[in-house]
Amino acid sequence: MVRSPDSIPVPSEIETSDHELMLAVRDGQVARLGELFERHHGPLYGFFVRLTGQRTLSEDLVQQVFYRILKYRHTYRDEGKFSAWMYHLGRRVAADHYRKHRTGETVDREEVNLEHIPDDAMDSGEQAEKNDDLALMQKAFAELPLDQREILTLHRFQHLPHSDIARLLDCSVGAAKVRLHRAVNALRDSYFRMRRHDGAR
Amino acid sequence: MNCQRIQDSLLDFEAGALPAAEAEGVREHLKSCPDCQRRWADLQETLVTLDRLPQPAPSPRLRNNFYAMLESQMEAAGESGNPFHAPRPSEHWYSFLLPHRALVQAAAAVALFGVGIALGSRVWPPSDKTSGETAAQLAATRAELAQLRNQVDSVNQLVTYSLAQTQPAQARLQNVVATLGQKKTDEAELATLLGTLAFDPSTNVRLSALEALYAHADNTKVRQGVRAALPRESSPLVQVAMIDFLASVRDREAAPALEQLTRTPRTDEAVRTAAQRALAQI
Repeated sequence: MVRSPDSIPVPSEIETSDHELMLAVRDGQVARLGELFERHHGPLYGFFVRLTGQRTLSEDLVQQVFYRILKYRHTYRDEGKFSAWMYHLGRRVAADHYRKHRTGETVDREEVNLEHIPDDAMDSGEQAEKNDDLALMQKAFAELPLDQREILTLHRFQHLPHSDIARLLDCSVGAAKVRLHRAVNALRDSYFRMRRHDGAR
Repeated sequence: MNCQRIQDSLLDFEAGALPAAEAEGVREHLKSCPDCQRRWADLQETLVTLDRLPQPAPSPRLRNNFYAMLESQMEAAGESGNPFHAPRPSEHWYSFLLPHRALVQAAAAVALFGVGIALGSRVWPPSDKTSGETAAQLAATRAELAQLRNQVDSVNQLVTYSLAQTQPAQARLQNVVATLGQKKTDEAELATLLGTLAFDPSTNVRLSALEALYAHADNTKVRQGVRAALPRESSPLVQVAMIDFLASVRDREAAPALEQLTRTPRTDEAVRTAAQRALAQI
């Protein structure tokens, strides 16, 4: 029977874990990467958009991650967890991009401000009123330093457990929790400060 | 517990990650501490608002690029174990009898067909002495010959299409993209696009061909081609796109094929829904 990459998954396919699929890809069934792509490209794209604030660039970065998954498939280890490995490659791809395009590892906050990119602006930024809570949150989030946006995204949007985040950031679970705590506090302070400022006008 | 410790554990408390006894301690403290209550309310509001930020969705370009990359990588590696495609003829038991290239196969089919006609005319030569042959029989024979000629033309088209198929997927995609939005497309180009839609092994190339055909949806032959390709299509995604195409031009002649899809138990659920929606539209 002919199968297609976009066929609706049947129950047996749903049961195939990411890890099993990646092992199949590693062992030569390269086409099964399509199934992993279908499962993960959306969240991975969201990860890059929240990190860079740029939609077109984020699509290119996702493409590069899957290219690297294919290229380095032989290095995938049996005990590895696919999503953690994918985000590890994602961070490397983003770092390489920034290394090529500017000096230093940090991102210029103005460059990635989600509200100030006319072509690639996020939908909510366009649609929401200035005093809209979501627009303020978008702005507060975009103004956080890159490392805080990253840990918040991994925890809150990608739903990675603390242990995976710790492994990605190459720190202990305790240290990852502390960083997350600081990022949430910074976001909260920034958001409520903007709200007060907005309300005062 | 003091306020600092409570405030440090609010994130875990919110996530339900605190041990039961500790969570109970936080709950008790919150009942009597207005400062921590405010902190707790602010944290909850921050996280709820953060979670409500819209999830950005990628454009179709990402999926197209990914599958083009995957396909070109597989072609470069010379891998044939692509589960997305039908088994190649070379995988069948009789494969040793068949030429390997699609082009040669199609050419051989045309040649065999020609040999058949030539043999047929020698064994049963046309005779004008056949007094018993009625005019009706003659007309039927002519119609049959015309039909055979059409079939030969189709095989010729297949040969042309097979030639195109020897290019890598990315080049085929570029060929299709080149015709996108063209209002002036000649018959041969339309036939190639319809051939691509019907036979190309790549889902992306087929989808792009359909997109290119949108500019010619008012052409009867185009609609006929899409209708013919619909039941043979293996990918539900492409099938749904074809159904949307036919629904957008309110092609009433598509009704039987759509009804057939809604009745067939093997039809994908998304395709069935699209077919039912289209039937209501046309």
